[in-house]
Amino acid sequence: MNRQEVIERLLDHYRSPRHRGKLPDADVVRSGGHPGCGDVITVYLKVDPEKQQVAALSFEGEGCTVSQAAASILTEKMQHADLAEIEALDDQEMIDILGREVVQARVTCATLALTTLQRAVHQYRREASKPHE
Amino acid sequence: MAEYAHPEVLVDTNWLAEHLNDPTVRILESNEDILLYDTGHIPGALKIDWLADLNDPVQRDYLDKAGFEKLASRLGINNDTTVVFYGDKNNWWATYAFWVFKLFGHKDARILNGGRAKWIAEGRELTKEVPQVAPGSYVANERDDSSIRAFRDQVLQHIKQEGAALVDVRSPQEYSGERTHMPEYPQEGTLRGGHIPTAKSIPWAKAANEDGTFKSPDELKTLYEGQGITPDKDVIAYCRIGERSSHTWFVLKYLLGYPKVRNYDGSWTEWGNGVGLPIEK
Repeated sequence: MNRQEVIERLLDHYRSPRHRGKLPDADVVRSGGHPGCGDVITVYLKVDPEKQQVAALSFEGEGCTVSQAAASILTEKMQHADLAEIEALDDQEMIDILGREVVQARVTCATLALTTLQRAVHQYRREASKPHE
Repeated sequence: MAEYAHPEVLVDTNWLAEHLNDPTVRILESNEDILLYDTGHIPGALKIDWLADLNDPVQRDYLDKAGFEKLASRLGINNDTTVVFYGDKNNWWATYAFWVFKLFGHKDARILNGGRAKWIAEGRELTKEVPQVAPGSYVANERDDSSIRAFRDQVLQHIKQEGAALVDVRSPQEYSGERTHMPEYPQEGTLRGGHIPTAKSIPWAKAANEDGTFKSPDELKTLYEGQGITPDKDVIAYCRIGERSSHTWFVLKYLLGYPKVRNYDGSWTEWGNGVGLPIEK
């Protein structure tokens, strides 16, 4: 994609976000944000415990175009993904998924959704590893 | 009613609407949201980004003389061009870009009062068309960091001096140190919360009206003088990275005409991480 196509894709996800909204039966609800600039993301994660995969994933949020578009693109990409795949994704890969030439000047916005989702996975694993009472 | 000390640095939306095709005027949109310009901007405006365009790509600093000349020329700006900045977030990044232009001595820089939000609220035209401009031929001064920019060690000396004033323009929660303690928000980038000793808490937003325009001269005078920030003092403003404090710097320097005002762009992301620097809560 050229630069303009990258911008159009981001703006499309910003205006018409995929998988936006609450997930009533989520295993984990996790929020993250940058209070200084107003970007906030809440991730809703439901896991298939047998497959250790995402069963359903959604988000809510407010903030700049990059942070919200990134959340939409990430949640679309990670539906039914292995948890290990989410954990292995790093910031640089996320920037490439979004379009490096456009988002590299806003790395914290571009990676907010990923960071928040990875914390959600971490929280899921921690809670799943606790002995049942 | 009193007037602003330098009313020539402010333009209103009517003025700008009448100068959209003025070849002596260059309109620059400076936003926090990097794609906002692409969703629609004031006709004839070009985008300038605080990070990609105004910062050095490696060192935490601003571009140098050669870099500024290249930037200004690319944007079709000459030394005598009237540059009008506007943007999102109550013009934080517009005043920040204005401040950087002043570091290089650009003479005629102005701010659109009310910024992007007011232009849109009035139902004025937006376009997605990026204008093609003829390159300018800019000869910049060497960047002057001495008169309107403050550094950490200068702030450390400043807070020990009589007749010096320091303004913390962040939110009350940041001033108190409460906000960086929130476990969900580790990206604030500082290891310690609180404020620089002697700083008065005057959040930037108190200088703005609901529509993003600046408050009246009388209101601004009451706001700052009421907290002991008077024109006879050497004043430094700071926030987290220097953008909100550029808004307050603009108010004190140009709207109230204080002679000695500097912006500490290192701000809390430097001070709150500094080893051994004094902090109050």
